[in-house]
Amino acid sequence: MSDQPVADLSRAPLPTAKTLRQRRSIPLQLTRFVVFNTRIMKMVLSGHKGTH
Amino acid sequence: MPPGVCHVSSAKGQEMADVVVLGAGVSGHTAALHLRRKLGREHTVTVVSPNANWNWIPSNIWVGVGKMSKADVVFALAPIYRKKSIEHRQAKAVAIWPHGDNSDPRGAVDIVSTAADSVGDETRIRYDYLINATGPQLKFAMTPGLGPDGHTVSVCTADHAVEAADKLHECIEAMKAGATKTLIVGMGHGTCTCEGAAFEYIFNVDHELREAGVRDRARLIYLTNEASLGDFGVGGMTFDDMGFETSSELWTASLFREREVEAILGAHVSQVREGVVEYETLDGERHELAFDFAMLLPPFGGVPMSAYAADGSDITADLFAPSGFMKVDADYTAKPYAEWKASDWPHTYQAPGFDNLFAVGIAFAPPHQISQPRKTSNGTMIAPSPPRTGMPSGAMGKTVAMTIVDRIKNPAADARRASMADMGAACVASAGANLRTGSAAAMTMMPVVPDFDRFPTGRDLKQTRGEIGLAGHWVKLMLHHLFIHKAKARLGWQFIPE
Repeated sequence: MSDQPVADLSRAPLPTAKTLRQRRSIPLQLTRFVVFNTRIMKMVLSGHKGTH
Repeated sequence: MPPGVCHVSSAKGQEMADVVVLGAGVSGHTAALHLRRKLGREHTVTVVSPNANWNWIPSNIWVGVGKMSKADVVFALAPIYRKKSIEHRQAKAVAIWPHGDNSDPRGAVDIVSTAADSVGDETRIRYDYLINATGPQLKFAMTPGLGPDGHTVSVCTADHAVEAADKLHECIEAMKAGATKTLIVGMGHGTCTCEGAAFEYIFNVDHELREAGVRDRARLIYLTNEASLGDFGVGGMTFDDMGFETSSELWTASLFREREVEAILGAHVSQVREGVVEYETLDGERHELAFDFAMLLPPFGGVPMSAYAADGSDITADLFAPSGFMKVDADYTAKPYAEWKASDWPHTYQAPGFDNLFAVGIAFAPPHQISQPRKTSNGTMIAPSPPRTGMPSGAMGKTVAMTIVDRIKNPAADARRASMADMGAACVASAGANLRTGSAAAMTMMPVVPDFDRFPTGRDLKQTRGEIGLAGHWVKLMLHHLFIHKAKARLGWQFIPE
């Protein structure tokens, strides 16, 4: 309960304990780091060139 | 030939050209570096910036929680420009004469010095090409009591962020002594932009409170003009998650619930008093919220400048929108929100009627909101403004720089194009700064401006992704070091993409 009109987030999905562990797992996150950077580079190469 | 370009030139191109860049933020500084890289020394590149320093603004949120110092995010521009042979005027631009004046048909800009040894001195400088990259005017005054001169803090500048960190740590010390506190982070007006920065800041505050062992003594509230979580001023995003279309709203709400951060949505802050925020919500209800610490971002406007015809008549309204942002090659036809198209957005950032005048980054006037504008039942506008910062800002700066390089070689060259409806952006929203325990919500979106003619969800699902984890923190930290390396024009800077 709140005195303010706060949004009801009670139906938002909570991450499981496994998901929370994965978010801090060094080996998995190293992989995600590579994947995310590859995604950025792909986006830059496809959409950031000033074209005529 | 561009109007006003009469400096020594030939059919093959200009032998000498003066290029002036107003502003040394991401877009202006990027443009200046690329111009200098591509143009011979017979051409001049001048940057006019009221600040002596460059600030990597995305890292200000880390200064604002005390994880970084001001020196980590700021450096002096003068040595960089000296090294690169870029002329630097520490001054603010106050007027543009795009047709020249009675004494010279070349375009000109009136600038007023902000340097300590010449403060207030006014000069008229001539240009063959001009880029307006002046960034935002921080309009704290639109909400009485908002900002460092009022009752809230900000992270818009490095100095603001230092003050925010000091006040946050005062709060943390009081909580360690047993006090309970209410901390508010969000948007200080219904028309603010940069919701992502407030999102980042509140989760970094949450992280700091947990590290200090006082999270249970704090009520943390995100007060935003977004009608739904995950809107970020871009109308939200749709992700392909394990074969299902998932909204950024659900994804963001999950993080808020997990970290026990409360959210007040669709809010317009109307006034801030000592320790109290007054705000109105979309249903027209007015509320008051007491706080101990509040970081609320201001709305942005264009940096105020006038424009004059050669005879001195005022043409400001021809060049600038009422918001103060410069009109470019966008479709500014007034139409209902439902009728706007991605193609309304500018492609070349060239001011109408002038082949040698451009506006990039926050300085150009967007044709319309991306996020749906709404009004309360009292008629108060609550409309998140479209972001034009970060990756797109740098890409625009480089694109316009390359157009100018082309036109100096060949005055008839077409302008290069880089519409926000064609380019993507990565938004790495820090949610805690620590190499082992930190995290970030890392998002990519393609394109920034959704195009519902090309994509059913407005964006390419293959390139629009979001994930939360430690890797996002590493990416943001890496980008911090890469972009400062680039901005300092160190070895290989040009190979770091915008």
